[in-house]
Amino acid sequence: MTKSPSPLLDARVVLQRGDLSLDVEIVVERGETVAIMGPNGAGKTTLLYALLGWLPLQSGWVLLDNEIFEAPGQDQVTSTQDRNLGMVFQDGLLFPHLNVVENISFGAEKEADNHDLMERLDVLPLSEKYPAELSAGQTQRVALARTLAARPKMVFLDEPLASIDLTARIDARNSIRSALEQSLAGALLVTHDPTDAFALAQKVLVLEEGRVTQFGTPDQIRSQPKSRWVADLMGWNVFHGVGHGSSVTLADGTQLATSESELSGETMVMISPSSVALFLERPGGSPRNSWLCRIQRVEHLDSLARISLSGPLDLYADITSDAADELDLTPGRDLWVSIKATEVRANTILGRRH
Amino acid sequence: MTSRLPVSIRVLAVLAVSFVALPLLSLLWRVPWARLATLLTRDAVMDALLLSVTTSVVAALISLALGVPLALQLSRMTGLAVSAIRAVVVLPMILPPVVGGAALLFAFGRNGLVGSVLADITGLVFPYTIGGVVLANTFVALPFVVITVEGALRAIDPRYELAASTLGANRSRLTFKIVLPMVRPALIAGGFIAWARALGEFGATITFAGNIQGKTQTLPLAVFVALESDREAALVMSVLLVSVSLIVLVSLRDRWWPVR
Repeated sequence: MTKSPSPLLDARVVLQRGDLSLDVEIVVERGETVAIMGPNGAGKTTLLYALLGWLPLQSGWVLLDNEIFEAPGQDQVTSTQDRNLGMVFQDGLLFPHLNVVENISFGAEKEADNHDLMERLDVLPLSEKYPAELSAGQTQRVALARTLAARPKMVFLDEPLASIDLTARIDARNSIRSALEQSLAGALLVTHDPTDAFALAQKVLVLEEGRVTQFGTPDQIRSQPKSRWVADLMGWNVFHGVGHGSSVTLADGTQLATSESELSGETMVMISPSSVALFLERPGGSPRNSWLCRIQRVEHLDSLARISLSGPLDLYADITSDAADELDLTPGRDLWVSIKATEVRANTILGRRH
Repeated sequence: MTSRLPVSIRVLAVLAVSFVALPLLSLLWRVPWARLATLLTRDAVMDALLLSVTTSVVAALISLALGVPLALQLSRMTGLAVSAIRAVVVLPMILPPVVGGAALLFAFGRNGLVGSVLADITGLVFPYTIGGVVLANTFVALPFVVITVEGALRAIDPRYELAASTLGANRSRLTFKIVLPMVRPALIAGGFIAWARALGEFGATITFAGNIQGKTQTLPLAVFVALESDREAALVMSVLLVSVSLIVLVSLRDRWWPVR
C-alpha cells in the first residue's frame, strides 16, 4: 500500500447560524486526533454538525479521504448517512427503546461481529440493559461502541467526558484513547478540559467566536498561548497595556520589557507562572522586569506551589514545593520578583504586527 | 406543603366535580342490575353493540393509518402551511357533529362531490350503509390521532435523527426503527382515544348514515331511541359506554395528560 500524502480530513466551513458567524479551515492528518477547544458559543458543535452534513455550508468544502462531500461548484452534497463519519454525543444519545446490543448493532453490517469491540469497551455485561438503566460512564462507553461498530472513517466526539464524574473520568478517557488508537484513522474531539485535550489529541485547534485563534501541538498551546482565553485556561498571568517598541506600559504605569521590537497600541501581555522567578534579595545585574511584591497566598498542588503575589503587578508564580519550603514563603512576606524579557509574550491587539 | 385556597374557591371546585359526577352516579343508581344480562342480550342491543365495536375499531385503525403519516409530515414542517393544515384537520374536533355529517353527505353522498364519481366507478355507496358509519367515525376520530402523535414527534430531540444518520440509516430505517418506536406511547394513546371517540359518535353518524337497526344503528343511536321506548335498555347501554370511556381514560392517564 502506498502512503497517501493527502490529509484524512480537509475542510473549510463557512456558515452563519444565529449570532455565530463560522469561518474555519481544518486539516486532520491520517491517524491524528485533533482537539477543538474554545469558549461556549464559539461554534465547536456547529463545526462538527457542518462537517457531518447536518448544517448546510454557505461556502467552503469538505473532503474526507480524497472523497469530495461538498465543494464549490458541485451541486451534489453527500448526505450525512453516506459520509461514513461517526459521532459520539455529549449525553450519549442512545436510542431509548433499544437495548445495548441493539444500539450497538444499529449501524453495523448485518453479519458484523461486535463481540471484540464490546469486550474492549467493557460493555458486554450490559448487553441486555436499556439506556435508562446505565450510568453516565456506561452510556458513554456504549455510545462509543455504537459509533465504532459502524466502522466510520473518522469519529467526532462532542464533549464525550463532560457528563462523567471525575472518578470515572480517567477510565473513560483511557477507553477512548485505546479506541482511538486501535480503530481509527482519525478523530475530532470537542472538549472544555485541557487535560482531555492534551491526553487524547496530537493537535489542538482553538476556536473563538467562529474563528481559529490557534492551531498547534499541546506543547505549543501550553507554552505559547495566542489568545487571552488560552492563556487564562493555562493559568497564565494576563495583562493589558499600551505597547511601544519592545516594552508595554500597563494602566498604573508599570513598564514591562519584552523580546518583541515592533509593539504599538493596545497590547496583551502573557506571562507563564513557571517563568516568574522569586528572590529574597534584590537580584543583581538590575534585570528590567523586577519588582518588590508581597505574598498573598501559598497553595500547594502536589509537588508544585502556586504563590499569589501583589505589588506593581498582581501575579501568580509556580515554583516547586521544595523551593517554597526553602525560601520559607508565608503570606505577608515581601519578595523580589523577576521575569526575563524573553518570557514575556506580547500581542498587539489593535493594529496587528506585520 | 400546599397552602389552603379560599373557601369560596373550594366550594366552587366541589360544585364542578359534583356537576360532572352526579349525572353519572344517577345513571348507575337507576340501572336494573338484576336484569342486566337479559337486557344486554336483546337483539337491538346486541346488534348495536356489535356494529359499534366493529365500526369504531375499523375507524380507529383507518385514523392511525392516515393520521400517523400526516403527523409525521406536519412534525417536520414549519410556518403558515403547518398551521393551516392543522386547523383544517382539527376542525372536526370542535365542529358540531351534525354539521360534520351534513358535510360528509355533500362530499360522499349519492350526489356528492366525491360520492357520485365513486359510485359510478366502483359502485361504492356510503350513506345509510355500514361504510357510512365508519366514514363518519373516522371523520371525528382522525384529529385525535394527528394531534397526539404530532405532539410526541415534535418532542423528540432532533439529534436522534442525526445520530441515526451518522450510523448510516436512510429515511425509511430512520422512520420505522427510530422515530415511530420512540413515539409508541403516543401511537397507543392516539389509537385508543380515536377509538373511544368513534365509539361515542352520534351526530355525524345519524346525519350521514341514518339510524337503521342492525345496519347503521350504533350504541349511542340505540340509547337515544331506547330512551323513548325502553328506559332500562337505554340505561344498560349507557353504562356500557361510560365504562368503556372510563377504562380508556384510566389506562391512558399518563399519556393523554401529565399526572404530576
